[in-house]
Amino acid sequence: MIKTLRWIVFLLAALAMNFPVIVTLVTSFKTARELASNPGLWIQSPTLANYATVLGKTDRFNIYAYLLNSTSAALIGTLVALAIAFPAAYAIARSAIGRRVLLPVVINLRAMPLVIFAIPLYMMYQWLGLLDTRLGLGLILAIVNIPLALVILVNAIGEVPIELDEAASVDGASAARIMLSVVLPVVRPAVTTCFIFGFITAWNEFLFGLMLTTSRAVPMTVGSSFFFAASGGGVQWGAASAVMILGALPPALLGLIMYRQISASMTAGAVKG
Amino acid sequence: MRLTKTLLVVTGLILSTTGLPGLAQAKVTVLGWPGGSEETALRAVAEAYNAEPGRAEADKVELIFFNRDGFFDKLQADMAAGSDAFDINLVATYSIGRYAPYMDTIDLGADAQKTFGDSVLKTMQFEGRQYGVPTDLSLHFMYYRKDLIDALLQDEAAKAKYAEIAQKYLGKSLAPKDPDSWTWDDWAATALYFSKQVNPASPTRYGTVLQMKNLLFNMMVFQSLPRSYGGDWMDKDGKITVDSAAYRTGLELYKKLYDAGASPKDSLSYEYAETNAAFGAGQAATALQWNAAAGDLTSAEKSPAVAEVTGMVAPPAGPDGRADHIHGLGLGLNKAAKNKEGATRFLKWLATENAALAYAKAGGSPALAPEVVAKVAAERPDLVKLGDFAGKYGYVMTGATSAKALSVYELQAKEFTGYWSGQQSLDEALKKTETGMAELLKK
Amino acid sequence: MALLKPAQSRLFLTPLTGFLMLFLGFPALVNLVYSVSSVSFETLRNPQITGFGNYALVLADGEFWRSVSFSGRFALVTALAECLIGLFLALFLAPLLRAHSVLMAPLMLPLMVAPAMIGLMYRLVLHEFAGPVPYYLFLWLGDSPAFLSVENAFTALAVVEILQWTPFAFLLFYMAYSGISPDIREAAALDGAPWYRVLLWIDLPLMRPTLAIAFFIRFIDGFRVFDNVYALTGSGAGGSTTSLSIYIYQAFFKQGAIGKAVAASVLLFLASLAVLTLINLMAGTRRRA
Repeated sequence: MIKTLRWIVFLLAALAMNFPVIVTLVTSFKTARELASNPGLWIQSPTLANYATVLGKTDRFNIYAYLLNSTSAALIGTLVALAIAFPAAYAIARSAIGRRVLLPVVINLRAMPLVIFAIPLYMMYQWLGLLDTRLGLGLILAIVNIPLALVILVNAIGEVPIELDEAASVDGASAARIMLSVVLPVVRPAVTTCFIFGFITAWNEFLFGLMLTTSRAVPMTVGSSFFFAASGGGVQWGAASAVMILGALPPALLGLIMYRQISASMTAGAVKG
Repeated sequence: MRLTKTLLVVTGLILSTTGLPGLAQAKVTVLGWPGGSEETALRAVAEAYNAEPGRAEADKVELIFFNRDGFFDKLQADMAAGSDAFDINLVATYSIGRYAPYMDTIDLGADAQKTFGDSVLKTMQFEGRQYGVPTDLSLHFMYYRKDLIDALLQDEAAKAKYAEIAQKYLGKSLAPKDPDSWTWDDWAATALYFSKQVNPASPTRYGTVLQMKNLLFNMMVFQSLPRSYGGDWMDKDGKITVDSAAYRTGLELYKKLYDAGASPKDSLSYEYAETNAAFGAGQAATALQWNAAAGDLTSAEKSPAVAEVTGMVAPPAGPDGRADHIHGLGLGLNKAAKNKEGATRFLKWLATENAALAYAKAGGSPALAPEVVAKVAAERPDLVKLGDFAGKYGYVMTGATSAKALSVYELQAKEFTGYWSGQQSLDEALKKTETGMAELLKK
Repeated sequence: MALLKPAQSRLFLTPLTGFLMLFLGFPALVNLVYSVSSVSFETLRNPQITGFGNYALVLADGEFWRSVSFSGRFALVTALAECLIGLFLALFLAPLLRAHSVLMAPLMLPLMVAPAMIGLMYRLVLHEFAGPVPYYLFLWLGDSPAFLSVENAFTALAVVEILQWTPFAFLLFYMAYSGISPDIREAAALDGAPWYRVLLWIDLPLMRPTLAIAFFIRFIDGFRVFDNVYALTGSGAGGSTTSLSIYIYQAFFKQGAIGKAVAASVLLFLASLAVLTLINLMAGTRRRA
């Protein structure tokens, strides 16, 4: 009885939360003609034409290049953020330093509309030669990701019993070693969570992708706006939907693979504990 | 940790491709308006230009396009920072003053005058100097449903109902008329008549679709209404004149129609795409909309419900006759360009009659001098209408090419939609607009 | 408590501080200068320092306060709803998800789509003539409300935000909940404690840090909301949905009032810094107590 209720709640939640995704999916299989006459969720004459349009490579719209650019910039943005946030989170969690000033300042970055940094950053990038490069875009995405990574990691490391560190320390391990071989394995689920959220955030970033790239490093979000303009222009709903579906696939797949990892490691931990 | 390792390898692979050169560096780089017929046409003429015999390698043209979303914000950042990523960039009438400080003037020669005529060349001028070659012209059509209007014109009972509605809502007794001889009141009465909320027997849900989203382009659509009542942004002495009877009439008429239910309930978030969808669904009898929508709304493929019965005329008339907002898109020379000689050669070529005709044949919408447009009239009859309306009714508000023109539109969009949505009174909206515009447009 | 020596801690913090200094130090400095200058896109390289006029301008601007109030209300409503629904789903569905972990997929999916795209999609979904929601409402009920009118826009946007980001809270809660050792719960159950006591006395206290963090992150993200609102209503109807981020973006790019935009951001930065420090102090006192 309660089990049936759980299934009902699950189905309702999944349906409601995914409604726009479902509509997008349905729309991506409709022809322009059908879009104009049938707003329902039923497809009368399904077509793959929208996907053909989006996947067809032209010198103008090259989804493969955009996907590659996004993947590489998002990976840089996520890995760099993790690499520098992790030691900092360890230091903050295990000592009083950085908690009063650094942590709030960094968290604050997430609340800021980063657009105000657009112009000075643009000038700086111009000077450094980082304009229109994946590396340049990736480094900015790292800044976007650092606050969330820091919060989650400080919280997770704070939950790890300090006795673990102390035991290792008694055995003569250095602080760096304790961090990497004692604490890191324990907080792997949190690191993975940071990675997933970081990658998604970086993948979906639009503003800096727009400002800092021109042709070679254009990411998926910016490239796909070829089919629509959020304001001030026509929208090709069918193609826009297809491009949204394709654009959401990489983070979705990554999220699923990584998620299996987290749940596996959690189950392992529970058995051991 | 296998996954982590795999990830590292993948990252390494991807990073190693970072250094690969992108597109081959051509000699003249042109930044065009992305995604529409403008792009297709520019591609065609660029190809033709590059293929001309004797074209030096250094003069060959390569096109780049940003994407649509945030185009002008990106361009603003690029130009303000002195980017040399492109030699030639897009300019629009409403943004020419904003970008002029980062651009060089060009001398197009006498040919350009013969091709386009003075009034069109002016859409690319700022403070009397030529900053660009005009390529496309935008204006508005009044789209209407021929079948519905015809039926109304022949039905005596309907005419009586129409007169009754006009009397009740507009305080005038009006009779249905042919759309080409509409005044704004005739249009308003028609819009009310064809709205279910006003007239339950109406075959459509709404009589019109108003674009009332807080968006600068919507102000361009709107302002032909006050303009035909004699409205303008400022007078000859630079005094702001939006707090006028003309603007009041226009703003009140929009609000009256929206409040009466003659336009969709969500009109306050409607722009180009929503308007097309509403009219295309066959649920709106009229719509004042950009000429660019003509292709979609008359295509049996894209708008099966209305393609056969969509009519197009110039916007309705006010006491000062008809008025149709025009603005041009064009191409001009980036001050920081690396190859100015090559870029200038291309721009001059673009202003010749042959290039303009090729551009028109490839799907662009240039406004051409009457003698020139005659040569493509068979293939592009719509260009004749475009040139005709632009010549007869086209206007540019005083100050609408200045450096702050875009900001003025933004301000109007904010204040006027604030009034339409009932967030502030008409007096407040006009007063704030006037103060803001005086600040923006002061010399 | 302090296992790391101060010198070591600083060393561990160096990559972070160094990176931020390198990438944001110069921009932040430039912005501070801009915030006390008269500057436009034409004079980016030589702003005229004019004093604190920009700050006065922002503080006297009714639109600024309206956008602060919108962002505040929006953040509070969405963060609360997301956390409550997320918590409920995490606890209620836990047995189901433990048995079929593949069911996580649909619950995580909304997070993968860019908010700007979600906003764009809702333009279609809610469109009176082309969208499925009004279509079915008309079909079944004969009428459909104006989702984005002045009266309904706030609710509509909040629902859009909540539907997309509840999975975020849900995911964090589910992980924290699964992390609680089953032994503790079993022991309590053996003592005869009913489920709601287990929940109140064991689960929730153990999950408290995660609850606080999820609410906190969602509040911040709700406060700075931009993409989906901008795509869906463009700060309409009639400016009624101008979030603080939209206010700053519009001042920056649309009005070219760079000094004013930056001054507003500096104010935002200082205000949220004050709030964060306060929270920190309070948490610190409690830890000592």
